[in-house]
Amino acid sequence: MTGYAARVTDAIDPYLIPALDGVAYGLLLFVAASGLVLCFGVANILNLAHGTLYAVGAYTVAALADGGWASLLLALAVGVVAGAGAGGLLAGLLAPVARRDHLTQALLTFGVALAGGALLVAAFGPDSLPVRIPAALEGTVEVAGHRYAAYRLGFIGVAMVIAVLLALAVTRTRAGMLVRAAVDDPEMVASLGVNPARIRIGVLCTAGALAGAAGVLGAPIIGPAPTTADTVLLLSLVVVVLGGLGSVRGTLLAALAVGEIQTLGVALAPTVAPFLLFAAMAAVLAVRARGLPGRGLRLRWGGTT
Amino acid sequence: MPFPTGTSRRRALAGALLALGLTVAASGCNSGANGGGAPDTIKIGLLASLSGTYEAVGTEIRDGFELYLKMHDNKLGGHKVELVVADEGNGAPTAVPAATKLIKQDRVHVLTGIVGGGSVAAVYPLLTEAKIPFVGSNGRPELKDVARIWTTSYLSDEPGEAIAEYVRDNVKGEVFAIGPDYQGGWDELRGFTDTFAKIGGRLANPDGKTLWTPFPATTNFTPYFAQIKASGAEAVYTFYAGGAAVDFVKQYAQSEISHLPLYAAGFLTEGGVLNAQGEAAKNIYSVLNYSPDLDNAENRSFVAAWKEDHDGSPTTYAMASYDAAAVLDKAIGAAGTNPTPEEINNAIAGLGQIDSPRGTWQFSPTTHSPVQKWYLRQVRQDGRALSNTVVGDLATVGG
Repeated sequence: MTGYAARVTDAIDPYLIPALDGVAYGLLLFVAASGLVLCFGVANILNLAHGTLYAVGAYTVAALADGGWASLLLALAVGVVAGAGAGGLLAGLLAPVARRDHLTQALLTFGVALAGGALLVAAFGPDSLPVRIPAALEGTVEVAGHRYAAYRLGFIGVAMVIAVLLALAVTRTRAGMLVRAAVDDPEMVASLGVNPARIRIGVLCTAGALAGAAGVLGAPIIGPAPTTADTVLLLSLVVVVLGGLGSVRGTLLAALAVGEIQTLGVALAPTVAPFLLFAAMAAVLAVRARGLPGRGLRLRWGGTT
Repeated sequence: MPFPTGTSRRRALAGALLALGLTVAASGCNSGANGGGAPDTIKIGLLASLSGTYEAVGTEIRDGFELYLKMHDNKLGGHKVELVVADEGNGAPTAVPAATKLIKQDRVHVLTGIVGGGSVAAVYPLLTEAKIPFVGSNGRPELKDVARIWTTSYLSDEPGEAIAEYVRDNVKGEVFAIGPDYQGGWDELRGFTDTFAKIGGRLANPDGKTLWTPFPATTNFTPYFAQIKASGAEAVYTFYAGGAAVDFVKQYAQSEISHLPLYAAGFLTEGGVLNAQGEAAKNIYSVLNYSPDLDNAENRSFVAAWKEDHDGSPTTYAMASYDAAAVLDKAIGAAGTNPTPEEINNAIAGLGQIDSPRGTWQFSPTTHSPVQKWYLRQVRQDGRALSNTVVGDLATVGG
């Protein structure tokens, strides 16, 4: 019996760290993609500059952090404000085309992403930048007899807090209720004396702040480089599509699934690694055109309800 | 058919003016060639990625060439040089129009630079048609006819070939080979695994074949590190460059296999990536044809001149481009007054030994790439910065 148990443990053991890492990676994708979900689900705006907002946060921490806790917190604050500001700027740029189709928005925000990416390279250079984090997070910790990066373990905790706060904010606060109401019935919200345009600006600022925070916190995992924006945008879009367009819980499930596919999936089936992610996406879309099931908050988007 | 409206007529007029302007500009560029008498200005076209993914490498290549010109009074072989720089971008689709402009419109005598092997392959037919020599300083694909193709860098399988024996002698046990799944990665890893197997080294990879990671999609290497741990390897050999090199090295240092010695083709820790990797890169062994701390006269003056205009030390990319200028300097000088592109090409073939910051090397008569010595380097603290310090000589490889 003990021999059998030992064999099972031995078989599972090599996959423990990839599985744990899948959680860390998935939660990073959740924090990064949640802003995109808010944009899409509430403001009904396809924001292809979302990855660039993440890059803004990542470059912020590279520029400000010096290895101390105070500078890391400062970078987080600056990254959030910069992200929110950039989100507000986007809302201003998008105002004239708010009632147009997604293609117009996609073209506009993609242009903003290209210009923003070029500006970041002009400001910070074409190289990948180092990110200095506090020494306590730099090392490794022991997890079930394996070494694992301390930062990633800490990130799991922080990202869970962000996920809970986000869910509470959307379901329990007045702002969250207004946002949900604006999705369900914008005319009724307008007749109550709340300007839907202001809600849109608020949502884009919040989405920008989330992307900025993700960039600061995620920089030691997906670091600042000219390719960062594209990587994050692509993975976020996959998460949004899998997550069923506009549900916090669905997004969380989808992000964790993508994280596990990218780590545990690759460890289990390395030969098909290049196709795993998109094969999974195709499979989910084929079975359920609206993405993975996600109950709880439902932020519907125009035209499908 | 409706009569042309005001707008469309104006547009047609603008088009005609534009065409006229272009024609004038083109003919202006062509005049002045072959004046006779005093040595004419030689036109050199430099094509390198000045934007996009390889901007860092492209900038080094441009700066290395310009540094040689600056140090030699803007003359190569006694002729004043007009250097025309064009942007290669991310690869063939942007490289071909830029090269076409250099060859057809600027009528350069020689082309140099080019970061990507794919760009070289795409530009190759243009070079053949125009019959001008190409002295490349980085990428190098397999080409059938290298009559006018020269490379001052290396062939992709040579770093692995040069380090294989050292790894066999210094690792007590099996070695795990891992690399990116594209042409450059296949060549780099094949150079190592083929030579390593031939001299009796054993790979730890379960099927005896290199583990390929999707490129450029892989940003998280943790699952691969778990496999390496499970294989029982005593060391790892790899090749990554750019962003993937940063991710690989940073994650390796925090992984379960961080205690295994890491051997790599030098690009893993070369140039800007080393700064981004920071402490994580410490102690990594790499093989390359150059290091800024090499002790020879050419290198001392090269590094000193480079540091006048740049913050860090020069990379192998800058050195290879500096050498491309040195090759042209000697060849143009040997080709007589006002040489044709064909005469410059013939002179390159007869050059023999070339003194370089990397030490002395020469072109292989068969592959037209360098026969050169390779160095073992280790990432060590050098004052406040990390640097690739030479710790020994490896094999002389090439041709």
